[in-house]
Amino acid sequence: MKTFFGAVAFAAAIATGGATHAFECAVSEASMEKPGGFPERALTMIVPYGPAGGSGQVAGAMAEAVTSLTGVAINRDHKPGGSGTVGMTAYMSAPADGYNVLEHIDDASSAHALDSSNPNPAVDLIPLVISQVTFSQIYIRTNETRYSDWPSFVEWVKAQDGKATIANVSKEGSMERVTMKFITDATGMSIQQISFDKGAPRYGALLGGQVDALFEQPGDVRNFLDAGNFKPILTIFDERPGVFADTPTHREMGMEFDPLLRFRGFYVHKDAPADRIEWLKWAFQRGYCEDSYQAFNESKFMTVIDSYRDTDGAKELIMRSIDQYRDVYTAMGLDVK
Amino acid sequence: MIENFLAGSAALFGDWTTISIFVFGVIGGMLFGAIPGVSMLTLAAILLPFTAGLTAAQGVMLFAVIYCTGTYGGAITAILFNIPGAPENAPTAFDGYPMTQQGKSGKAVGAAVLCSAIGGVASALVMMAATEPLAQWAISNIGPPEIFALVFFGLAVASSVGARTIWKGWISVLIGLLIATIGQDPVGGINRYNFGVSDLAAGIAFVPAILGFFAVSEIFVQAERKAGGTYVAPKVSLSFPTILELWMHKIAVIRSILVGFFCGILPGIGATLAAFMGYGEAVRWSKDRESFGKGNMEGVISSETANNAATGAAMIPLLALGLPGGALTAMMVAVFQMHDLQPGPLVFYTSPDLIWIVFAAMFYANLSILIIGVVETKTILNLLKIPFHFLAPLILMLATIGAYISRGLVLDVMVMFLAGILGYLLRRSGYSIPGIVLGLILGKIGEQNFAQGMQMVHYDLWTYFSRPICTLLIAAGTITLATSVYRAFAQAGKEA
Repeated sequence: MKTFFGAVAFAAAIATGGATHAFECAVSEASMEKPGGFPERALTMIVPYGPAGGSGQVAGAMAEAVTSLTGVAINRDHKPGGSGTVGMTAYMSAPADGYNVLEHIDDASSAHALDSSNPNPAVDLIPLVISQVTFSQIYIRTNETRYSDWPSFVEWVKAQDGKATIANVSKEGSMERVTMKFITDATGMSIQQISFDKGAPRYGALLGGQVDALFEQPGDVRNFLDAGNFKPILTIFDERPGVFADTPTHREMGMEFDPLLRFRGFYVHKDAPADRIEWLKWAFQRGYCEDSYQAFNESKFMTVIDSYRDTDGAKELIMRSIDQYRDVYTAMGLDVK
Repeated sequence: MIENFLAGSAALFGDWTTISIFVFGVIGGMLFGAIPGVSMLTLAAILLPFTAGLTAAQGVMLFAVIYCTGTYGGAITAILFNIPGAPENAPTAFDGYPMTQQGKSGKAVGAAVLCSAIGGVASALVMMAATEPLAQWAISNIGPPEIFALVFFGLAVASSVGARTIWKGWISVLIGLLIATIGQDPVGGINRYNFGVSDLAAGIAFVPAILGFFAVSEIFVQAERKAGGTYVAPKVSLSFPTILELWMHKIAVIRSILVGFFCGILPGIGATLAAFMGYGEAVRWSKDRESFGKGNMEGVISSETANNAATGAAMIPLLALGLPGGALTAMMVAVFQMHDLQPGPLVFYTSPDLIWIVFAAMFYANLSILIIGVVETKTILNLLKIPFHFLAPLILMLATIGAYISRGLVLDVMVMFLAGILGYLLRRSGYSIPGIVLGLILGKIGEQNFAQGMQMVHYDLWTYFSRPICTLLIAAGTITLATSVYRAFAQAGKEA
């Protein structure tokens, strides 16, 4: 019952102080003429991840919003596997006629940073819109007794002499692994990263006490936060978002690195006809403004910070991320190609 | 509990819309489960947007019903045509299809129908009684080291299934394990054996591999017999197993319920491991191990009981903790979220009506497998009357579509045909197709959990043995392995 009341209190806090980033639709045109009748048939959206994960859900929400706005159906084609490479390869070999669009996440940027033979999402593709931008946090169990906040956690981890564990997706070059390197370098602590590629076992590992902490983005663990199971002890972002006003940022804890953000967006091939690209930009950027999409983003904590990037903003975010990843990979001694 | 169950039943059958959704889920799950490639996940993905127009209880209930009947649906094609509708039905084909060839298709299908219903109903009852404590126990006591130990324990009997000798059985399992290593390694993301083919980075998908090893290799074998004039069409049998026959396997049913349930409550594991482990345990405890893979009804019973027992169990971590056990339960999270709900402990406080409608629907969906299964089986069994020269191209076409449609990759069609050719050649030489498939599926799950477990124990293998459940399972698996090797040498000695 105690947990229940705690959870209700947390949910109430979110409800009252939740959406800290004021939303204003950046696209003023409510409609746009179809260039040469395009699109005359349904679009295909290639999604390089399964339908149930974060990408699958954002693809579904955006497809629904664009269809509702334009009347054009969007068929989602999920091609999971290989950390997004299977879907990206399939997309690059699909006709560049504007009928095929791609959903992808920041993994595409880090993959290009590590190996430039992989497509550069800001050069080989045209970003239509980035519709989710979020930060990461470190979580512990709410009923944890060994530590209660970031300083006590760091102290405890150091005392374990490398035996402490944190669950994340620590594949080579991933945003999680790079950020954890920043953190361990800055704090001098040594912690074993346990890589879980699926969310449920990752969250179950923390809930069940199989690991000591969890690295995740708030939207993915919202139900555990609402239920009072998890508690954030560190926000990896430059300022404290309103919803997490009690959680210190990494900079406040003395870690001076630029946070890597998780972002999800929609792309079209750069060789698609220019007028079709313009229409797609309008449809997806305006789709972001649809009530249904905004409600979806809010349910995922994606309105806590500014989640919107138009084409130019997206290119800037992607290029900055690529530069950042490349610097880190070089410093880590990885074979940057 | 009984009061809540009755209230859930009343709500379920209280209005025609909810009843219609329930019936649609039962039939849709069975149909999509039976067609290879287009699994119950396909149906769930299609229906997901439409659940926004339903109430939360109706939406979640629909998915839960599809989960129950879809898990059973693939058993029919596995038994009649050696085409498992989904990976969790693959072990059903190990003995179900040989039974069909022996003219016992009715008994195999009857056993699958009854045991799917029993497994599912038993699982639903336990789910209703003890969702919260079971979920907490599972996540607190079972981590990657225990799951790896469970897989090791299951693999230890795999050599006994379907091969001419135990050594050939082991080589078959090792081939499966080797195939499982293709693609990115599960924790570091390093590419292995993909030879620059980016699509191979995702590894060999289960569906095309299973279709190739089972359906395509079988067509090659039968075509060879047809060309050689030795082909004998399977007899159509409509006789179901008798009560006495099923009663003789009561221990296997109980054991498979326990195994299936245990696998089902582990987040991210689900029905596939349950079916393989259920089958493996049937082999381990049998006095006639060599008969498995050759038409032993206990193989069908164990596999189908276990995979349906996992369905109710998989709802436990989802509802109690918000942890989906597999892809379909993960989609259920999206249904919850569409209605501004989150699965997890709060749902028991905030939406008890929803919980009990879902529990009741799963109970009745499993019961309906029994009723609809018996009715449909009488019709479906007549498909075996289709002559081979019509049936073979039809199966090849269905298998090709099934292989392609699951990910939309031509590579998967190529994998299916390669697996078919490899399977055909290995079967001729006395190697075991079930062994290869066991190695492939358990290998992927086992490797991932072994690697995660090694990270958790800081790469100190001995620390694995500080975990009691892990130690117990590894010790039991090692004893089974040692016994198997001893029997292989003893068999070789006798033959000499």
